[in-house]
Amino acid sequence: MNQSVPRLRFEGVTKEFPGVRALSDVTFEVAAGEIHALLGENGAGKSTLLRILSGGLRPTAGKVLVDGKELTLRKPIQARAAGIAMIHQELQQVQHLTVAQNMFLGHQLTRLGGLVVDRAEQERRAAAALARIDPSIDPAAPIRTLKVAQRQIVEIARALLDEARIIAMDEPTSSLTPSEFDRLAEIVAGLASSGVSIIYVSHKMDEVFRIGHRATIMRDGAVVGMRELAGVDQKEIVSLMVGRELSQETHRSFATDEVKLEASGLCSAVSRVRNISFRLHKGEVLGIAGLVGSGRSELLRLIAGADRRSAGTISIDGKPVAFRNPREAIAAGVGLCPEERKREGIIPLRSVTSNLGLPSLGRYTTGGLIARRQLDQAAERYLKGVNLRPFLPDRPIRLFSGGNQQKGIIARWLAANSQILLFDEPTRGIDVGAKSEIHALIERLASEGHSIIVVSSELPEVIRLSDRVLVMREGELAAELPSDGLTEQRIVAHAIPGYASQPISHS
Amino acid sequence: MSSLSHTDAAEGSSRRGLRTLALRDAGTLIGLVIILLVFALLAPGFISERNLLNILQQSSLNACLALGMTLVIVSGGIDLSVGPTAALSAVISGSLLLAGVPVPLAILAGLALGAVCGLINGVFVAVVGLQPFIVTLGTLSTYRALALIYTGGNPVLGIPAGYRAIFNGTLFGIPSPILIVAVVAIVAWIILKKTPLGEYLLAVGGNEEAAYIAGVPIATTKIAAYVISGFLAALTAAILIGRLGAAEPILGNLWELDAIAASAIGGASLMGGKGSIIGTLLGAIILGAMRNGLTLMNVQAFYQLLATGLIILVAMIIDRMTRGRG
Repeated sequence: MNQSVPRLRFEGVTKEFPGVRALSDVTFEVAAGEIHALLGENGAGKSTLLRILSGGLRPTAGKVLVDGKELTLRKPIQARAAGIAMIHQELQQVQHLTVAQNMFLGHQLTRLGGLVVDRAEQERRAAAALARIDPSIDPAAPIRTLKVAQRQIVEIARALLDEARIIAMDEPTSSLTPSEFDRLAEIVAGLASSGVSIIYVSHKMDEVFRIGHRATIMRDGAVVGMRELAGVDQKEIVSLMVGRELSQETHRSFATDEVKLEASGLCSAVSRVRNISFRLHKGEVLGIAGLVGSGRSELLRLIAGADRRSAGTISIDGKPVAFRNPREAIAAGVGLCPEERKREGIIPLRSVTSNLGLPSLGRYTTGGLIARRQLDQAAERYLKGVNLRPFLPDRPIRLFSGGNQQKGIIARWLAANSQILLFDEPTRGIDVGAKSEIHALIERLASEGHSIIVVSSELPEVIRLSDRVLVMREGELAAELPSDGLTEQRIVAHAIPGYASQPISHS
Repeated sequence: MSSLSHTDAAEGSSRRGLRTLALRDAGTLIGLVIILLVFALLAPGFISERNLLNILQQSSLNACLALGMTLVIVSGGIDLSVGPTAALSAVISGSLLLAGVPVPLAILAGLALGAVCGLINGVFVAVVGLQPFIVTLGTLSTYRALALIYTGGNPVLGIPAGYRAIFNGTLFGIPSPILIVAVVAIVAWIILKKTPLGEYLLAVGGNEEAAYIAGVPIATTKIAAYVISGFLAALTAAILIGRLGAAEPILGNLWELDAIAASAIGGASLMGGKGSIIGTLLGAIILGAMRNGLTLMNVQAFYQLLATGLIILVAMIIDRMTRGRG
């Protein structure tokens, strides 16, 4: 192949929606066998660009060229025929079908003139594709029995099955553990060296730097720069993305000696969480680390009254409490900012104010009617405090970015006067700029005397935010570590099952 | 820095949640106006004070049911049992009247029975955790059977004149059923727009898991919706037996479908989390006006049924198109 013709070229791609220009004149190239990172905040236009590449959207102007030939992308099937595959952040798989059935979904192999699906042949070819990247996956297994990381591998194998030469991955690692990421990185590198071009969209700078060759950075629908990742530092990329320097983040502690919440011997009736004891102080930020599935989220649900307890006690301000539901926990000053905002956090059709008011409507009700003016005023005050943008409290919350939805949820608990705030993956799926805002906000809340627990899969985030870090492993506490001088390696060592357990050190 | 995606700006015209809903109501109103105009041209005597009052009166029964139905649908549920609930409440209330029980007491007993029927639905849905469609499909048969068994299948005849006078009277020239339903509509509007229960209904229907985490009392909220629906079914029955002078155990057959239709035409989403009281009222009047106009034009009942079906489909298609995709 001619070296000068890139595998993929976007040329002046522009996309206009009524009233807004989502992409303006986007031009960049991806070489054969290159892992090309596409970076930018939410709303920078990455998703729009990927949708154009996959045939889901037609550009207003400009073209997409593969090996120098202009593509007509009107339907997803044309993108597939051109050797383009997409791996979405939220995997689009049918839970009750097998691995092979999912891989052949929409273009099943058939016998008897299309009457019968040839399952045996499908499984044989699926196995062949899987063998290239992960032979341990059984093509006949139901997809729901697989872990998220394995499902992702199935999606990649599916792309190989289609003989894709360009694979676009949208936030592929948002729910992977560090070791699973290592495996994915290996696979992606292997694909690239076999000549497949990868477009890699992620918010995680560390990953991008480890995995990628070059990066194109987008802001407000336009390309603002292209960098060889080998010779550039993260700060430069981030400031290109957000268009300004981010403030230096160092940990400040506001912890006091006053015990706000004490858990002792906590066991969950519905999850593997068992025998958890710890103290949370006023003004303290307590981090919880651990692998996905180690029971971190379930522990938060237990404290927030969302899951039932089978043993153990919780006391707040020295008084024992027993929550039967979140409503009772909220009354005692506990608020949960859940991991999956869309599923557990927001009421999408309702305004930010309505979402904010839900737990505290009792306080804004007089004579059975909601005191709308008081509620609006309170909402305005708390939403200004968290810097909601754009500042339109009456607008349905689903129209806001992930970061601003999260701010709305945080403001909800401030309005409900929650003194204990539980954050589950507070910055998952949130772009870099909003992320540092959320971090600053958590710090500010601690400084104002709130007691905070932060669960995060991003170890730098845990270390950066926390005064102490609890490490969970298989439903139990494996270690308690002070965050001063704490390294990711030490956390990971405690988090992995089989690591020689040592008594919890109160150093 | 722009933190909004393109879809936001595309929906920029719908800045306020309030205004969005009002926009949907305006659409329903336009639909009603078009139907009124068409019949004004085609059906002689359609636009007269008398006939318009007639339409409102004919629509009022369905509207009364549909208001309760809307609250249930907003909460993410459905109530198929409104017809049999009305029938059961009618025959019990009628029997009490015949036995000489004072009118207010008989009315109260009927309404209380309707509320209990709703309570049973609500407990099965919210506490036992069964699907609303199945629960109310079950009670649809059960309540109907109880009404039939209680009366042996015979109508309760001879409702006293004192009772009938209440529902056949007029105030300032307006038939009392219209006034009663107008009051119900105002109360329902206040519930949905102005009370915590309304917020809770919208939240539970919009995202139950998130509502739970936000401290919404899920079970109480759902049960309240079914109790209101059952109560309004009984109120509809009270009005109807007052006008007919008899309580039939088979009354209210297929009422649930008209009520669901009125809610849906008015903008309620069967997925929950969305619905409008004003829209539902307009939806009920659209259905009533259609039937009235077609009757005036001497169109056969079969074609009236056809027209009802088509108007529901057309309303939903327009709703879909104006909202755009996703």
